[in-house]
Amino acid sequence: MTSSSTRTITFRIQRYDPDKDTAPHWDTRQLAVSEGMTVLEALHELKHEQDPTLAWRSSCRMGICGSCGMFINDKPQLACQTQVLHLGTEVVSVAPLPNYPNVKDLVPDLEPLFHKHAAVKPQLIPAGNLADEVPTGEFLQSPEQREEFGQFSICIKCGLCMSACPTLATDLDFLGPQPLAQAYRYTADSRDAGLHERLEHIDALHGPFQCHLAGACTDACPKGVDPAMGIQLLKRTLTLDALGLRRARPAPQIVPLPTEFKPSEKIPQPPPRTAK
Amino acid sequence: MRETRLWFLSLTCTSLIIVLLGLHFAIMHYAPVFTGQTIEEARSFQVMLERGRDVAQFVVYILFLAAALYHGLYSLRGIIIELPVARGRARLVGRGLLLIGLVFFAYGTYVTWWTFATK
Repeated sequence: MTSSSTRTITFRIQRYDPDKDTAPHWDTRQLAVSEGMTVLEALHELKHEQDPTLAWRSSCRMGICGSCGMFINDKPQLACQTQVLHLGTEVVSVAPLPNYPNVKDLVPDLEPLFHKHAAVKPQLIPAGNLADEVPTGEFLQSPEQREEFGQFSICIKCGLCMSACPTLATDLDFLGPQPLAQAYRYTADSRDAGLHERLEHIDALHGPFQCHLAGACTDACPKGVDPAMGIQLLKRTLTLDALGLRRARPAPQIVPLPTEFKPSEKIPQPPPRTAK
Repeated sequence: MRETRLWFLSLTCTSLIIVLLGLHFAIMHYAPVFTGQTIEEARSFQVMLERGRDVAQFVVYILFLAAALYHGLYSLRGIIIELPVARGRARLVGRGLLLIGLVFFAYGTYVTWWTFATK
């Protein structure tokens, strides 16, 4: 029996226990869902009330950690950001993210994502010994320079784009939208000089040139990153570099910390240390 | 060779194909506009032979052959290496298609030369 503020929704959840099952199978459960309830909350409710063995990965509940990526009604989505009633269906299917091996139930093995991400060297690689010479100095960057890569820096590594990518569905060696977009993020950063160190993986057979611009990655991204555009920009960067047309980037200015610092007298002194 | 250069070469071949196809259309299908010949004249065997004996036309044929072969086989390579059966065999696929391309290029060049040099 449901009140006017709740509806009974059927959840079809893909289950797989490697210790007991030879193949995944579907489990059907019903739950009274109220307005505003997310798929993640529904899973918690199902686990608490009906099946304590249900397994999934989640953490922040607020769309920032990227842990709760699932295949909800055949679309990769964050469970914490998907309201059940907004899906508009009486039956909600929940499966683990495709294009990843399955650990158990709704838990994907994200190791392929981490491995490919690490392969593109997703860190600033400054020219020469800049970082060593002035380890505490700040690299100056203008707002325009920040804008070149800013959109791609909000990636939360949830892996939904990798699930959506049709190329990855058949070509497991394809780097994928997330690593390629991050390769562009760092290459486009004015503080970085590491394009040639990344070439081994990004200028290779299963690199950006296997992207066919389906755009499913951009559709799936819960944070508004456009990995498809990132990949095309990476292609442009690589092409200009291969043809010797890439403009040399000046080394970023470093601002050393001030050596003489007098705090304002208006700022109160801290209390004495209590820990010895 | 860097994958970027292989891809860029494919794009270059695409542009070349478009230009050469345009030339083909102008000479063959729009002959009354561009060369003053009638369509029947432009497509007659004798006129085709005379045209082919011109070095420039011969070069156009060979360029078209090379561009179409490279573009087609590079694209085919892209399709094949994405298939699960090709996993771990990308180098084999690449070398196989390169060999096929070279064989077809050699054969096509020979046929072109034989047609216009010996008739």
